[in-house]
Amino acid sequence: MSAPVLTPITQALADGTLTRVELKTLMQRSNGPAFRHLALWIVVLACTGSLIFLAYDSWLIWPAMFLHGVVMVHHFSLQHECCHYTVFKTRWINDVIGNICGFIIMLPNRHFRYEHCDHHTYTQLHGDDPEMIELPQSLGGYFWYLSSIPYWRNKFTELARHTMGRLTPEEERFIPRPEHQTIFWEARLMLIGYLVILAACTATGWWAPIWYWWLPVVLGEPVMRFIRMTEHVGKPCVRDMKENTRTNYVARPMQFLAWNMNYHAEHHYAASVPFYALPALHEKLKTHVAVEPRGYLGAHIDILGQLTGRTPRSDAAEAG
Amino acid sequence: MAREKTWQDLINVADLFAGDATPVSFQGRELAVFDTKEGITVSLARCTHGAANLCDGYFNGTHIECPLHQGLFDARSGAAVAAPARVPLRMLQARVVGGVVQIMA
Repeated sequence: MSAPVLTPITQALADGTLTRVELKTLMQRSNGPAFRHLALWIVVLACTGSLIFLAYDSWLIWPAMFLHGVVMVHHFSLQHECCHYTVFKTRWINDVIGNICGFIIMLPNRHFRYEHCDHHTYTQLHGDDPEMIELPQSLGGYFWYLSSIPYWRNKFTELARHTMGRLTPEEERFIPRPEHQTIFWEARLMLIGYLVILAACTATGWWAPIWYWWLPVVLGEPVMRFIRMTEHVGKPCVRDMKENTRTNYVARPMQFLAWNMNYHAEHHYAASVPFYALPALHEKLKTHVAVEPRGYLGAHIDILGQLTGRTPRSDAAEAG
Repeated sequence: MAREKTWQDLINVADLFAGDATPVSFQGRELAVFDTKEGITVSLARCTHGAANLCDGYFNGTHIECPLHQGLFDARSGAAVAAPARVPLRMLQARVVGGVVQIMA
């Protein structure tokens, strides 16, 4: 018999942290919590969007767009959950919503799903984790990442590359050959969609997508970069899930926006557990995983401490 | 000369996780016993994509979802239903006799 693949779940079961019955109970799925969450989500979007409408003729439109943008970029959290099929019990609804979210934030859903598969397999492993965010070498690098400029540059490059029918060697590793055309057409359809909207705006003079969608997403993206850094950056670059991922205690509104993804270590332990069951899973695992009680800010204090030399860098051992 | 296959006892039905997937080790092989809506089926337990043990995944009585990447298989036929799973599961001929799951091995 070949060596077993040590998934986070097998690790948790082997550790005795969780029994199989407890795990399976937490894995049960339901459409109800997702539809309730989504309904409130749409209300929040309508509220923040209304602020832009109310502030349309003043400088206040910029903070309004930023606030709306913070909500908009959290479509990533919903898309992420959909790619794990842990939002809705009905599997195809996850695909539909995941693709809609991907269109909103320019993150093609199928490509993201394949990339994210490898992220879960090779979390925090240099050269293997395709979503790895490096611990910056300096404050300059830290703020450069947070500016989202490298993020958008990467996303636009990716979209152009896939539209032209090309993949990087890394992408060829995690996307099966029969899926290549799917990835290319996904990018092409997304680009066509954006161009059609842009053409319609130009033809009609109706620029609402700019003010209610694209500008807010650009303004809000640094917040998403700030949050994404808290998941793994500054944690050791090792395979052990107890070490390489951080759970953050955050305020309820942020937890709502994140679809409970602040319980990130729990999510990595058992990616099949629905978003609404993650707090319960956290109760089982909280003494077993890395928890940042100060939340996102605490995680960044940790990161800043490492990159300014006040505390040892988490990647020092690896670099040495 | 290869030994002729015969029905072999695998596990008591009473010991299965009802309506779920049960991991069983048999002659050095990891097997998954599925209590599907249409009866008991048995397959090799490893996902054909990432080799995780499928018994740790979400099972809805028909489809088993890989715990690692959420690829999907039909637990009745072994068919790969959704990405990233592409290669079907290898199913083993199975039956229930006197409250015992047996496989042809």
